[in-house]
Amino acid sequence: MLALPPAVVYGQQAPTASQRYQAPIVKDSGNLKGPRQPIFFRHDIHAGEFQIPCMYCHYSAAVSSEPGIPSLQTCMGCHLYVAGGTRGGVKADTAAVRAEKAQVQQLRNGSRDRKPPEWTRIHALPGFVRFPHMRHIKALGPGACINCHGDVQGMAQVYQVSTLRMGWCVRCHVERKVTRDCTVCHY
Amino acid sequence: MTDSINRRRFLKVLGVTGAGAAAVSACGIGPEPTERLIPYLVQPEDQIPGKATYYATTCRECAAGCGVVARVREGRAVKLEGNPESPINRGRLCARGQAAIQGLYNPDRVPHPMVRNASGTFEAIDWDGAIQRLSAKVAEARGKGIVFVTGTDVSTFGDLVDEWLKQVGGRRYSYEPFGFDALRAGNRTTFGTGSVPSYDFANAKYVLSFGADFLDTWLSPVEFQNGFTDAHAFDGGRPAAMAKFVYVGPRLSLTGMNADEWIAARPGTEGILALAMAQVILSQHLARVPADASRLVALLSGYAPRAVATAIGIEQETIVRLAREFARSGGGLAVAGGMATQYANGAEVVAAVNILNYVTGAVGSLVKFGADMAFGTASTFGDFVTLQDDMKAGRVALLLMHGANPAHSLPGAFEEALGKVAYKVSFSSYMDETAAACDLILPDHHPLEQWGDSRPRAGVTAFQQPVVQPVFDTRQTGDVILRLAGRTGTFKDYVQGKWGGLQTRGRGAAANTADQFVFDSLAKGGVYGEAPSRPVRLADVSKLTFAAPAASAAASQQQVIVFPHPVLHDGRGANKPWLQELPDPVSKIAWHSWVEVHPDTAAKWGVATGDFLVLGSPFGAEKFPAWITRSVRPDVLAVPTGQGHTAYGRYAKDRSANAFALLGKQQANAYGGRDFLVTATARKTGEHRKIVTTEGSPRERGLGTVEVLGVARAKSLRPNDHPFHFEETPEYASPAVEWWSEQQREKTELGNYKGEHPRWGLAIDLSKCTGCAACVTACYAENNIATVGEDLMQRGREMSWMRLERYWLTDDKGEPQGAVNSPMLCQQCGNAPCEPVCPVFAAYHTPDGLNGQVYNRCVGTRYCSNNCPYKVRYFNWYNYAERDGKYEAWPEPLSMLLNPDVTVREKGVMEKCTFCVQRIRGAQNQARLEDRSVRDGDIVTACQQTCPSEAIVFGDLNDRRSRVSQLATNPRGYHVLAGLNTKPAITYLARVVAQETPGHG
Repeated sequence: MLALPPAVVYGQQAPTASQRYQAPIVKDSGNLKGPRQPIFFRHDIHAGEFQIPCMYCHYSAAVSSEPGIPSLQTCMGCHLYVAGGTRGGVKADTAAVRAEKAQVQQLRNGSRDRKPPEWTRIHALPGFVRFPHMRHIKALGPGACINCHGDVQGMAQVYQVSTLRMGWCVRCHVERKVTRDCTVCHY
Repeated sequence: MTDSINRRRFLKVLGVTGAGAAAVSACGIGPEPTERLIPYLVQPEDQIPGKATYYATTCRECAAGCGVVARVREGRAVKLEGNPESPINRGRLCARGQAAIQGLYNPDRVPHPMVRNASGTFEAIDWDGAIQRLSAKVAEARGKGIVFVTGTDVSTFGDLVDEWLKQVGGRRYSYEPFGFDALRAGNRTTFGTGSVPSYDFANAKYVLSFGADFLDTWLSPVEFQNGFTDAHAFDGGRPAAMAKFVYVGPRLSLTGMNADEWIAARPGTEGILALAMAQVILSQHLARVPADASRLVALLSGYAPRAVATAIGIEQETIVRLAREFARSGGGLAVAGGMATQYANGAEVVAAVNILNYVTGAVGSLVKFGADMAFGTASTFGDFVTLQDDMKAGRVALLLMHGANPAHSLPGAFEEALGKVAYKVSFSSYMDETAAACDLILPDHHPLEQWGDSRPRAGVTAFQQPVVQPVFDTRQTGDVILRLAGRTGTFKDYVQGKWGGLQTRGRGAAANTADQFVFDSLAKGGVYGEAPSRPVRLADVSKLTFAAPAASAAASQQQVIVFPHPVLHDGRGANKPWLQELPDPVSKIAWHSWVEVHPDTAAKWGVATGDFLVLGSPFGAEKFPAWITRSVRPDVLAVPTGQGHTAYGRYAKDRSANAFALLGKQQANAYGGRDFLVTATARKTGEHRKIVTTEGSPRERGLGTVEVLGVARAKSLRPNDHPFHFEETPEYASPAVEWWSEQQREKTELGNYKGEHPRWGLAIDLSKCTGCAACVTACYAENNIATVGEDLMQRGREMSWMRLERYWLTDDKGEPQGAVNSPMLCQQCGNAPCEPVCPVFAAYHTPDGLNGQVYNRCVGTRYCSNNCPYKVRYFNWYNYAERDGKYEAWPEPLSMLLNPDVTVREKGVMEKCTFCVQRIRGAQNQARLEDRSVRDGDIVTACQQTCPSEAIVFGDLNDRRSRVSQLATNPRGYHVLAGLNTKPAITYLARVVAQETPGHG
C-alpha cells in the first residue's frame, strides 16, 4: 500500500483557480534546459499547476536517505482517468492537447506492456557520498526540496540547478552552524 | 509479506555503490547524467528505497537450524544476522551462517536445468523438458530401485520426499559426512535409545569434552557456544562462574584451544579415561550416585587409574584429580564427540562417557533426552556403504541427490558406484563433484530463495521463507517432487498447510485461523516449543568391553587424523571466498589445507613448516604442506578436510588436496560408522610452499597485547583495582605528553569539536571470546571488504579489518594448554599515531572520537599504516571491484551482496575498521527523526551482533550508564600497548584461566 507521507498534511493549501499558476504550453521542447526524458513529464504541470506535493510521488524522502521515484502504479492512479490535455490553458489549442495526450498515452502503453520508462538521472552523487534526504527534510521542512533542486515547480523539463559539489554542501552547513565532520557524509 | 515475493524487483540504480558513473563531464556542473532510473511497475508494499527490510528465515548451512534475519535492500539480500527469537542461536550467528549469502549470489551456481547429451557434456534444457524426462525415468525405474539421497533433512521437504518415495517404491538415505553414528550407537548400548540428546552447557559447572568440538563443528555450535560462555566466562551468566573446561583429544581444535587444561590422551583411550574417572568417583564416593549405579562397580573395577594410566599416556594422579574436580563441581557435563567418536571404538568411548555422566547425575539434567536433535535420524555410514554396494551391483536404477556431495567426501568409492547407476539426477544448486557426475541437473533454489523448514530438535520448527527473487532459472525441488507425484499446488502451499497443523489448540485461547498463525510464526521465524524430557535408565552394561587400541605398528607408520575444517567443514564452504580467506582459527592458515606435525616429529624427519609431506594410507595418498605446532600429539598427524575439490566452482576447484582421499573406500566399522583415524606412511617430497598464514607469532612474548589472570587473582579484584598499568608514561616523556594534551584540549574548543559529543568505544571480553571468527566474516559482509585471493594473501595483502590473534598459553613444560584469542581491529585511538602523519588529512579525528578515514581524500601514501602500532590499516593494492579484473572480488552476481551504505574502495586507498560508522549514522538519523537522542544499545556493530559468545559490546564511553563504559572501568580492563599513550577506545577485559600461574611468555 502506498502510505501518503506527512508532506500531504503539511502541504500548501490548494489555491483558488484564479491565483493558480498555469504551466505554459511548450511548443518546442528542444530549447529546454536539462536532459531529454523518455516521456516529456512536466514537473511544472504536476507540482506547479496542480500543486501535487513533491512527496506524493517521491514518497520516501521524509523517511529514507533515498527520495524514491514513483512506480508506474502511482502514475496510473491518476492517469487511469486523466488522459491529459484537459487543463485550463491548453483546452483551446488542439495541437497542444494532442501533444499532451500523446505523452499520457505513452505512459499508459508502458504500464500495459509492463515496460517502465528509463528516466535519465539528473541529480547523482558519487559513490563515496551519503546524502540522507530525511535529515534535511526533518531540519528544513517539507518544502525544502527547492533549496537544492531549485524551482522544480516551474520547470517544464528538470535540470540540475546546484553544483552538488562539496563546497556547495559545506557552505550551507557553515551558514546553518551544523556539522562539517567528514564522516557524516563520507563512509 | 508472503505474496509480495514475486513482486519484489531488483532495482539496480537505487543504492548505487562504487564510483557511480565515471564519465567525464564536459559541460560544467555535476556528473554526466548517464545513469538510468528505472521505476517499479508496482510499488512493493514492504520496501522503501534506502531502507532495509528484514525477513526471518532459517540458516541451512548446517543442520543446526539457526534462525536468521535477512537484511534486504532494494530486493537484494545484503546481510544475514541471527534471529533473537530463535531458541537455538538466540540472535547470534557463526562464520558459516554469515557466508550463506555468498552461496546465494555465488557466480558458479547452476543457472538453469542441464542434461548430459550424447557426447557426454552438459547442455541446457528447459524446465518442462527436464521434468518430463525425469518422470519418464521414474516410470522406467519403478521396481528396479529408486534411491533418494538427501542431507540431514528433518523437515517438511524430507517428509514430502518420503511420501513420494512410498508412492513410487523407493527409499531415502540421508548423508552426513561427519555423522553421529558412534554417538547413537553408544547411547543405544547404555540407554537403549539411538537418539541424540540436547546438552545444556549454560548450566554446567565443569565441562569435560572428549573430542567434542562443540564450539565449531559438533551438533549445534552457535547454541553451544552461547551456553558455554555463560558457564565458562569469568562473569558470564553468574558472577565469577568460570566453569572449568578440560579438553581430551589428540589435537587442539578451535574448541580445544579454549580449554583451561588439555589432556592429550592417546587416540582411542578417551573412553578408558572416562571409565577410570567414574571408577574414582564411585570408589571414593565423590558424588551422590544414582541407586542403580552400584551395578557398575564390577565393570569399573578393571579401570582403576593405576591400571590404565600408562595406556592413556597420562599420570594416574591426573586422573584422580580430574575425577575429584569433575564430581565436586556439582554440575559436571561430559560430552563425547568429534575425533573421539570417529575411531573404530567410537561407540565404546560414547558409552564410557555416558557412564561417567550417569554416575554424576548429569543425565536428565544437563544431558536431556526428549528434546532430541535431528541428527539422530540420519542414515549411518554403514547404511551408505550398503547403498554403494547396491549401486555397484546394479540394484539402483535411478539415483536422485539433494543437499549432499558424497562424491567429494567418499572419493573413489562413491564415484565408482555412481558409474553403475543407470540414471543419476542431482538437485544441487552448484556444480559440485556429485552433480558433475550426474545425467540430469535440476538446480534447486538457494535456501534464501525457497520455502521450507527445519526441525533441528524436537519441539522446534524453524521456518524458511524466500527473502529475494530467485537469482537464476532454478526451481524449488519441493515443487518438482509435487509435480512428479502428480499433485496439484505448490510446495509453498504444502509446507504452509503443514505449518497450520502446528498450532496448539485449547486452554481457551482465541482460536486463530491457520493462516494468521502461519503468518505470525513466520515473523518470528518458526514455532518454538519445548519437548518434554524423557527419562532414561542405564541399560545392562556389564557385558561391554572397552579395549585400549593397539599401539601403532611400524616406526615409519603414523596415525593420521582427518578432522572437519571449522569453517569449510566437509568442503561445502569451499566455494565461498569469505570462508576461504578466513584463516583457520587454530592454524591461521587460509586458502589451502595443511598437515599438523609436532615439532619433535618434525625435527626427527627434518621437516619445516611449508615442506610437503605425502601421506599414504591403505586407501589413497595425498600431499599436504606441513604446519609445525605443539597443539598436536607427537605420534599423530592431523589433516583438515574442506579443500581438494575437483569441481564446485572457481573458489574451490583444484585447490590443495582432499583429505578424504586418505579414507577412501573404507568399509563401515563395528558400530556402522566411519573411521577418521588411519595409519599412514609419511614421506617428504622435497617440495616446499610458503603457507598462507596470518599468524605473526605463536606467543605473545609479554608485550601486553593480551593479558591473562588466574581465576583466584581475578576473583580477588575489587572494583577500583587496576592490575594492568594502563596509560603508563615513562618519566622522561611526561612533559611532552602533558604539553600535547594541553594542545589537544585547546583544539576541542574549535568549530565542530566544541560542545558535547559521544566517544564511541568497544569492550571486548577475552574470557568470553573463543576465537570462532564469526566477527571477521560479519565484518567482511557488512563493510564490503574485498577478498584478495591466495596469491595476494600470501604476500600479506589481506583486507580483514578485524583479525583474530591467537596466542598459546603454555604450562610449565612449555606445552600448550589452550590459547587466548584476541580480536584485533582499529583501536580508534584518542591520540592516534595515524592521524598527524597523513599529508592530506584523509586520516583525521572526528568529533565523536573515531579515527576517520576519508577515502576520496586518501592519496595512498600509506604513512598512516606505517605509523600504526596495531597494524590494523589495510591498503588497496588493486582495484578489487574492477569488472573482470585480475583480482576481482565480486564477480557477477556476487556484487549483489554489497552493502549500499558502505563505499566500495578503489585502488590506492587505505581502509580500516570504522566502528561500523554507517550504523552509527543510521541510528543517529533515526533518532533525529524520532526527536530523541541515541540510546545505549541502538547501535550494534556487525561484529557485536554476530558474536556467539557475546564478547563484544559497543557504546558511548561518555555516557556513564552505558554498558560499555561500565565494562571499560572493569578491573580486568586494559588497553593494548597502553604505554604508547595512544588512548584507545577499545578496552579489552583480561582472559581468566583456571590454572593459577598462567604462562604466555
